[in-house]
Amino acid sequence: MLHNSMTEKQLYANIKSGGENSLFTTYEIIFQQLINGLIQGSFYALVALGFSMVYGIIKLINFAHGDIYMTGAFISFVAFSIIASFSEGVVGVVLAVIASMLLCAAIGFSIQRIAYKPLFDAPRLSLLITAVGVSLILQNTVMVITNGQFMFFHSAIDNMAGVRFGENIGISFLEIAMMLITAVLMIILTLFISKTMWGKAMRAISTDKDACRLMGINVSKVIGLTFMIGSALAAIAGGMAVIYYGQVHFFMGYIIGMKAFTAAVIGGIGSIPGAMVGGLLLGLLEAAGTQLIGSEWKDVFAFGILIAMLIFRPNGIFGKTTIERM
Amino acid sequence: MALMEVKDLSMRFGGIIAVDDLSFEVEEGSITALIGPNGAGKTSAFNCLTGFYRPTSGSIYYKGEPLVGLKPYQITYKKVLRTFQNVRLFKNMTVLENVKSGAHSISSQFVLGALLRTKAQRKEEKEILENALSCLEFIGISDLKDKVVKNLSYGNQRRVEWARALAAKPELLLLDEPAAGLNAEEKENLIDLIRRFREELGITVFLIEHDMSLVMKVSEKITVLNFGKKIAEGTPAEVQANPLVIDAYLGTDDDKEGSAWLK
Amino acid sequence: MEKQKSKFIVNSKKLGFFGDVVEKCYVLLDNKKVKWMVFAAILALAILFPLISTNYWISVMQNAMFFMLLALGLNIIVGYTGICNFGFAAHFAIGAYVTAILIRTFEWNFWLTLPISLVASIIVACIVAGPTLRLRSDYLAIVTLGFGEIVRITARNLQITGAASGLSGISRPELFGIHLTTISHWYYVFLALVVLYIIISNRIKNSRFGRALEYIREDEDAAMAMGVNTAKFKLFAFIVGAVMGGLAGSFFTVRMGAISPQSFQFIMSANILLAVVLGGMGKIPGVLIGAAFIAIFPELFRDIPFIGTARMLFFGILLVVVMIKRPQGLWPERRR
Repeated sequence: MLHNSMTEKQLYANIKSGGENSLFTTYEIIFQQLINGLIQGSFYALVALGFSMVYGIIKLINFAHGDIYMTGAFISFVAFSIIASFSEGVVGVVLAVIASMLLCAAIGFSIQRIAYKPLFDAPRLSLLITAVGVSLILQNTVMVITNGQFMFFHSAIDNMAGVRFGENIGISFLEIAMMLITAVLMIILTLFISKTMWGKAMRAISTDKDACRLMGINVSKVIGLTFMIGSALAAIAGGMAVIYYGQVHFFMGYIIGMKAFTAAVIGGIGSIPGAMVGGLLLGLLEAAGTQLIGSEWKDVFAFGILIAMLIFRPNGIFGKTTIERM
Repeated sequence: MALMEVKDLSMRFGGIIAVDDLSFEVEEGSITALIGPNGAGKTSAFNCLTGFYRPTSGSIYYKGEPLVGLKPYQITYKKVLRTFQNVRLFKNMTVLENVKSGAHSISSQFVLGALLRTKAQRKEEKEILENALSCLEFIGISDLKDKVVKNLSYGNQRRVEWARALAAKPELLLLDEPAAGLNAEEKENLIDLIRRFREELGITVFLIEHDMSLVMKVSEKITVLNFGKKIAEGTPAEVQANPLVIDAYLGTDDDKEGSAWLK
Repeated sequence: MEKQKSKFIVNSKKLGFFGDVVEKCYVLLDNKKVKWMVFAAILALAILFPLISTNYWISVMQNAMFFMLLALGLNIIVGYTGICNFGFAAHFAIGAYVTAILIRTFEWNFWLTLPISLVASIIVACIVAGPTLRLRSDYLAIVTLGFGEIVRITARNLQITGAASGLSGISRPELFGIHLTTISHWYYVFLALVVLYIIISNRIKNSRFGRALEYIREDEDAAMAMGVNTAKFKLFAFIVGAVMGGLAGSFFTVRMGAISPQSFQFIMSANILLAVVLGGMGKIPGVLIGAAFIAIFPELFRDIPFIGTARMLFFGILLVVVMIKRPQGLWPERRR
């Protein structure tokens, strides 16, 4: 992973050397990891939102969601390589991500209709296995197209340009933009869920699907919309990841899918603000973990958090305890 | 001392009070019923007795031992068996396999026994099989033993459920609306069967029921529940004459229930 | 529930002629003599196979049998009990690494590593499933998936597991004085293991333990009402499955002579899951056929350019289609 001025390796080496020949001060390291954590956390949060929304509404852990993120990244990449011939800068990149958003919304909707809908009344295990199948389909479609290779992304955007606070640390405009976009999307989504009819319908369905049918809510339409919004958000995260990290790989969605699920669990699965806070929190925790125990253990650390959460606080920070009625 | 004793039982779901300070007793060897109009809290009370809900407050004693806080399977091990309102069988398995499940709580072989197929294991398997067959015989559905449950009629599925409960050699049988969905003839058979449970097998029966005619015919003591509260208790005749009970049933908007009651 | 009922009726009608044939086969197989004869014939064929085949196909079949072992293990968890395990490769990795490390680093005899591998599998299964089985079943799905990654990453990071390049030069064991070196030797070792695993699966299925697992799969509340301590039985199902996977891993190690984290990727877990689902969860012959399909399919299409690389894409589609159209798997269901 590339960061603006310090790579993770350097940071790690710095700590290992006990700070003696250190290039960076503790303050600089903390600041840098804070930014890393927030950026990574923004990705997690955006993907976690889709996870949480879908889980809230049909109680399915959509394993394919991480792969929607990957697909979003891949489509952004392809779209940009087409657009790049006439617009290589910010406009081109934004257009590419928007295209990817729309396509992924359509893909998310189709997945729901074709693969999940016929199984809504079947045992839960069938739905979970189907989700694994969908995940394999998305991964391997991209794998076949890219021949399993890493795709590298170059745009006219300068990843390094930004505000400097001293010699070694700073924050790039790209990072600022990404965090702003994430924040704005979350505000829009929160307003959508709490203020609009569609949002109310979503919340109503997550409480009682059958009652909603009786009240004349088009449940299947609302579920479709939920998938579309979730997928579009994942696609934006994927698009931003391409620009930020500069590469696409067919397997990139697998790990982030699980991380996003962890984020959703931390915040309380099914809860929208929970997914946001959970995402950012996980990003920061991971940054701290990377700093303390090394980047090669980062994923193990994150899954450790997941398992610990499930054991000690399965309802998350924002989740409610419910009594299951028979 | 009563076989089962319920004291000040309350069950709340958020702001809703489903069961409110309910107390009653089930005498050994009796057929006791808990009745009440729709939404009176019968099923909630029932789920507290069987360990599926943990009551908000109050206590339940079986043979003087507290049941509150036990898991459903632990209550089954005390030979208190239940059936379900909407038939919960193992649908893709055969009738025989379903009835064998009843013997789970009275048998003990585990992983190693299964793998090594020890002498004790084979002996126990034989006993489980014989026990299951005799229960099928008792209910009168021996001919269905190899049928897959999901292909059976609703009435037969109910009978399989009874056979399954019977296979656990229960001392107290808790029936959750056993007559729901049965036709007139099947109901007659059910009344007969409930009596045979007690007469031939010495099982104490407790049922919650909607169907008044069945309850009046079969039970000796009735507790009436309305809005979670006990409003009457006594023999069928006493309960039938109680003005509060008549009010509770006629007071509902459901006309059918009211007229059924007056008959 | 109504919906499900009507679905089954449609399905059985759809089967038509094929269904009739299957029904007749079942009636035939109900006869114990016929059943044993069929079983003996298949076994005889399997025993004679290396005599009439090329080394290439012997090794393909041996690989298929290895998949059968894993699939039979996962079948106890997913098929019998109906609980998720999407990281089954991790259990197989545990057994594989325990044996590899003991042989290479501590120079143990292979046969002595098996009990250690068994104990390690039990401990790991308890750690993964113990705390999470109490929770919603779908949480277990993600925990097993995450656990699969933890094991793989750990193996890649540690020195004792040989890091990314893994461990190699693991010596082959002896059995009855025969040094197991040729492909035929291993074919027979795995054949014996498959027979053993089938017996184990069958014995579990027809026992109080196995029935309790199926009760849990069918209706957890009803199982609990019949006295099944569901948490305990689910844990033991998980343990039995994990041990079967772990021991298969131990044999895999000595057969290959080398292992690396590459062998335990998510694709491996997905393949085993597909084998179980494809054949029909819980049905032993179905699971065996599913596993054989998973192992043989890539060999058949190895040289055909597109299908060779797109194998997992095809498997993914198959998984979805089977779940939607025939959730009971390809092996036909008993209908009475």
